[in-house]
Amino acid sequence: MTEHNIQTVNILRYDPEKNNEPFLETFKVPADNTTSIQDALAYIKDHMDKSLSYRWSCRMAICGSCGVMVNKVPKLACKTFLRDYPEGVTLEPLANFAIEKDLVVDKAPFLERLEAMKPYIIGNDRKPEDGPNLQTPAQMAKYKQFAGCINCGLCYAACPQFGLNPEFIGPAAITLAHRYNLDSRDLGKVERMKLINGKDGAWGCTFVGYCSKVCPKHVDPAAAVNQSKVESAKDFIINMITMKEA
Amino acid sequence: MINYSPKRSDEPIWWGLFGAGGVWFAMITPVTVLVMGILLPLHGFGLVDISYDKVYAFVSSPIGGGFTVLSLSLPMWHAMHRVHHGLHDLQIHLGSVGKYACYLAAALVTVLATVWVIQLS
Repeated sequence: MTEHNIQTVNILRYDPEKNNEPFLETFKVPADNTTSIQDALAYIKDHMDKSLSYRWSCRMAICGSCGVMVNKVPKLACKTFLRDYPEGVTLEPLANFAIEKDLVVDKAPFLERLEAMKPYIIGNDRKPEDGPNLQTPAQMAKYKQFAGCINCGLCYAACPQFGLNPEFIGPAAITLAHRYNLDSRDLGKVERMKLINGKDGAWGCTFVGYCSKVCPKHVDPAAAVNQSKVESAKDFIINMITMKEA
Repeated sequence: MINYSPKRSDEPIWWGLFGAGGVWFAMITPVTVLVMGILLPLHGFGLVDISYDKVYAFVSSPIGGGFTVLSLSLPMWHAMHRVHHGLHDLQIHLGSVGKYACYLAAALVTVLATVWVIQLS
């Protein structure tokens, strides 16, 4: 690749105050081997069209703000490079979410789901004077992988079930619930299983597995959701035996 | 809006049968096909003496009968569960009609297999 070539970047634009529907706009952006999608967006905003809206913050794949569809695949703009798309790219807002403006989507349904799962340690009455709540490496290994989520929402843009059924709790939120359910310091599983046991909980998933494919942190939400199905099935049987209220 | 007190899903039942069927189909059915479909027609390469009477005795015994019923029914539960969810994935939404049609088909195979095996013994 030459030092500085000109790359085509198509962006789905939408301003609810001006446009009736979203439309594609093409920009020609100077790029080299180090130009990320996010750099390209910054270049466009700084030099070509200051009305362009997009989310970003850390530029290092940890804040989870910059998720966009890159040629129809959910990706982090900061972790995706123009050099991998010599034919040019088409950027669209994350699928399965409502567009607010340009590449900015309404993430409220996503955040609502994370919150509903009570992603914090429940029922542990240790006090600061008790000292740190130690865990063995084995206890930590159980949930560590699922604790890597940066809440970027790419798995929701990938999930066909969330697209078909907007009531589905979805991959990241179920993964987060599973992460706390597996934590030896936590005693809140009963509270979280209520939502997992419903038809829009773990059972809304048909194990397509695309969520795990697009996850930029290799959290493997599909594994967490399907392990949650096992937990829910166990909960179902225990509930049947003890005849407790569902 | 999130429904904070959803009804418990009945999916664990169907998913349990789906899982059992998947395991049976992946681990036991290939062996069954190898033995019943290939080795026996070849007379077990001269190692096994197979006859109608022996197969009849196997299928009409409790263990052999159970094996036959499970071989016929469990993969059917697996397949019909997949068909049910596959229809949803293909955006063919048949609701509970599709669900019960699929599981009734699997239940029918289970009942028929059970009746036939019981009639033998």
